[in-house]
Amino acid sequence: MKILVPVKRVADPDNANKVKVSDDGSRVTSDGLEWKMNPFDEWSLEAALRLTEDAGAKKRVGEVVLVSIGPKDEVQTIRQGLAMGDERGILVEAEDDDLDSHVVAQVLEAIAKKEEPDVVFLGKQSADGDSNVAGTKLADFLDWPLVNYAMHIATDDEGKTFTVKRELDVGQQTLKVTAPCVFTASDRILQPQAIKNGVTADDFAYPESDGGRYASLKGIMQAKKKPVEETTLEGLGVTPTRVNAYGSFTLPAARTGSTVFLETVEELVEKLQTEAKVL
Amino acid sequence: MANPLLDDRLVQLLLEDVLDAEALTALPHFEDHGKETFGLYLDACRRLGREVLFPTLRPMDLEPPVFEKGRVRLHPSFREAFGHVRELGAISATRPAEVGGQQLPLTVATLAHAYLMAGNLGVVGLAWLTTGAAHLVEAFGSDDVKARFLGKMYEGQWTGTMALTEPQAGSSLADITSSATPREDGTYRIRGAKIFISGADHDVAENVVNLVLARIDGAPAGTKGISLFAVPRLREEDGALVSNDVQVTGVIHKIGWKALPSLALGFGDRNDCHGWLVGAPHQGLRMMFQMMNEARIGVGVNAAATASAGYHEARLYALERTQGRALEARGAGEPVPLVAHPDVRRMLLRQKAIVDGSLALAATTAHHADLAEHGPEDARAHHQLLLDLLTPVTKTFPAEFGFEANALAVQVLGGYGYTSEYLPELFLRDQKLNTIHEGTTGIQSLDLLGRKAMARGGAALQALGAEIQQAIAAADAAGLDDALRAPLSKAMVRLGKTSMALGQKGLAGDTLGMLGHSVDYLTMTSLVVVAWQHLRLATAAAMRPSRGDFEEGLLRSARYWMATELPRVEHLAQLCETNEPSYLEMEPDWF
Ligand SMILES: Cc1cc2nc3c(=O)[nH]c(=O)nc-3n(C[C@H](O)[C@H](O)[C@H](O)COP(=O)(O)OP(=O)(O)OC[C@H]3O[C@@H](n4cnc5c(N)ncnc54)[C@H](O)[C@@H]3O)c2cc1C
Repeated sequence: MKILVPVKRVADPDNANKVKVSDDGSRVTSDGLEWKMNPFDEWSLEAALRLTEDAGAKKRVGEVVLVSIGPKDEVQTIRQGLAMGDERGILVEAEDDDLDSHVVAQVLEAIAKKEEPDVVFLGKQSADGDSNVAGTKLADFLDWPLVNYAMHIATDDEGKTFTVKRELDVGQQTLKVTAPCVFTASDRILQPQAIKNGVTADDFAYPESDGGRYASLKGIMQAKKKPVEETTLEGLGVTPTRVNAYGSFTLPAARTGSTVFLETVEELVEKLQTEAKVL
Repeated sequence: MANPLLDDRLVQLLLEDVLDAEALTALPHFEDHGKETFGLYLDACRRLGREVLFPTLRPMDLEPPVFEKGRVRLHPSFREAFGHVRELGAISATRPAEVGGQQLPLTVATLAHAYLMAGNLGVVGLAWLTTGAAHLVEAFGSDDVKARFLGKMYEGQWTGTMALTEPQAGSSLADITSSATPREDGTYRIRGAKIFISGADHDVAENVVNLVLARIDGAPAGTKGISLFAVPRLREEDGALVSNDVQVTGVIHKIGWKALPSLALGFGDRNDCHGWLVGAPHQGLRMMFQMMNEARIGVGVNAAATASAGYHEARLYALERTQGRALEARGAGEPVPLVAHPDVRRMLLRQKAIVDGSLALAATTAHHADLAEHGPEDARAHHQLLLDLLTPVTKTFPAEFGFEANALAVQVLGGYGYTSEYLPELFLRDQKLNTIHEGTTGIQSLDLLGRKAMARGGAALQALGAEIQQAIAAADAAGLDDALRAPLSKAMVRLGKTSMALGQKGLAGDTLGMLGHSVDYLTMTSLVVVAWQHLRLATAAAMRPSRGDFEEGLLRSARYWMATELPRVEHLAQLCETNEPSYLEMEPDWF
């Protein structure tokens, strides 16, 4: 089974207060930011690893290819994934400012056509832009089946077909899809038994976790030797057609307020109606 | 906000600006590494420390190991937490590829593992003991002994211990009495009792290999008759693991480091305890001492990490909790955060200066260790000299001053600090061990003054003086003002003078005159060595293209150290030189 996982870096949400906007408000500046892998990508990356390994024997049985689109530094995000166990990476060099979800989907389309994976497994959104469209657009461009917010994935034919549960506000939906296809993940995909790949024993349980696996030093050393192909939009034959134009950026107002303890539920309801105006 | 355990910016500054760890990758031994592998390993340790280990700290403190039916059971979450540390590869990270290691510079490992130690030192302690024990086997074991133990230990499948201490022989290992009787098959039968042996039994790995000091029958008395043995809890017989007659006779009820059991052990009650000699007979202590630097740097890092975790707990609390009005507002206005009060800032800055100084010192000493072992041939002796000199300081300063820092963290939280609802009291208890194990402060001070400072006619102190001169020149070039540089230069001269004076007493046969104030001498040396660290941190901060909060903070803590601590050097020097007699004259009955 071959899975393509797009990953990107985002400003470390733990240090979000360091995000700044340029003086003219035209762009978000990235100087001095600490970066980490988009947490939503980490979920899909972990799920892809689980789909392509024999967890009991700690053996890889499939291939995960990471793709990152952005400045050269993004290679660090790729190496991080390679250290977790992925096989190889592709870096598409581009300026962050030139990208939107549409262009990203165009690039991924080109790579998917070249690489012919069974699955493209994306994060449902990125923690900075929060757009939640790249996966859907990509499936549309490729005309492949799409399952958003997958929470449980099973295959017993090495990824030719999948039975996927997705999480909805109203409950769960179970779909059967044929590869090649596009998935995005909900956090429940990390539950200990959410992935059944037909190789790992059915009763195997991964440890509880809310992110990807930890890289080992051995994995880190191996990652250094794994191939990362570098290319560009041009190299892929992509003519970017951005559909979003960014107007201006402003930082949210600093948070104010304090904690108030109320005596009764009635008081609370009243405050929510009159002060917070949320009811 | 969550406790970061260590300040990532400080770690980065140390590795990149101060020590240039990347330059190590030009050495053949480290050539497979690069900035990227360092960064990824730091990240992995950071995450593991913060996300996995730290949340288990209090639960393990509340539920210490249980001793039942002769076996020891650890906290239920110990196994998984330790599993993560094992899989990370921390146990063999710095070891050579031939034995399954990854040849990571100790400089990087020291800072990366500090995150793990700050997260939960009990869990990391088991890994760290295993590294130490396995390293002895690697360095001195015969091929047979290595084949038996080494691979499994470095993989963490079996864990290791250091079994030195006996009830009557703690600081003075010369007095150990455990015995070893040779057998025809080349093994020995071990008999004896050990106490305080950490990690000697648990339920998180298959087996334990104790590295035991014992006397071969008929061996000379004293330090020259002590040998080293590998003594597993279970031994392999016909492909199965069977009991090797090592009994747990009790658990020690400790005030800290509670997650990791420290045990009283009996060897050979049934006369069936097999030991495998490691290295040559009667060379046990010598071999142990050869490995001591790394273990002692390890204690220093651990102490620095514990002080750091306490400091961040106090810092975050002081930024958030409001109390009283600002002095200058004379009682008017809204309550202010604790950090607005000058005395709270004093307590925080003191902690910060101790923590930053300790981490910088540990990383610097580790850097000398890397260069002493793997650096250019012609520079190795120089680095070894500095490594030997800095080791007792690196073991002691973070432990002694770190305890003070941890007490200040309690103080910053006021009454809440004195409760077990908050973590500072736990760090304070954990920290205390670091002045005791791996050689107490008293023993370190004798090592420093009696051996290291005097070795080769004071060559190590001269090397230190040269390093400090270089740092002062760099500070000058970076435009740091004289108030930061001059006191250090003066203090180093004073240290040299005192050392000479004490050395002369020693040469004249006045041992007590030389060593009577050895701990004051160690403190004095520490103040100078840590001032040197602060100057280097401040220089690196000043060289940054722009100065932010972090850089301003470093410049202030350097100034604080020079203004507050360095003046003590003169006083301590006088105590040493005059061998100030008050306690020396005390008769036992006068207490
Ligand atoms: C939690 C814990 C874990 C431990 N783990 C291990 C372990 O894994 N393996 C192991 O082998 N040991 C271990 N130890 C033992 C530890 O190394 C000893 O406790 C330590 O070496 C001191 O020995 P002691 O306790 O017998 O104290 P003593 O030697 O009796 O010392 C008591 C006091 O006298 C001072 N003193 C003693 N001799 C001198 C001297 N010559 N000059 C000046 N002052 C002196 C000491 O500095 C100290 O203040 C552990 C101890 C503890 C508390």
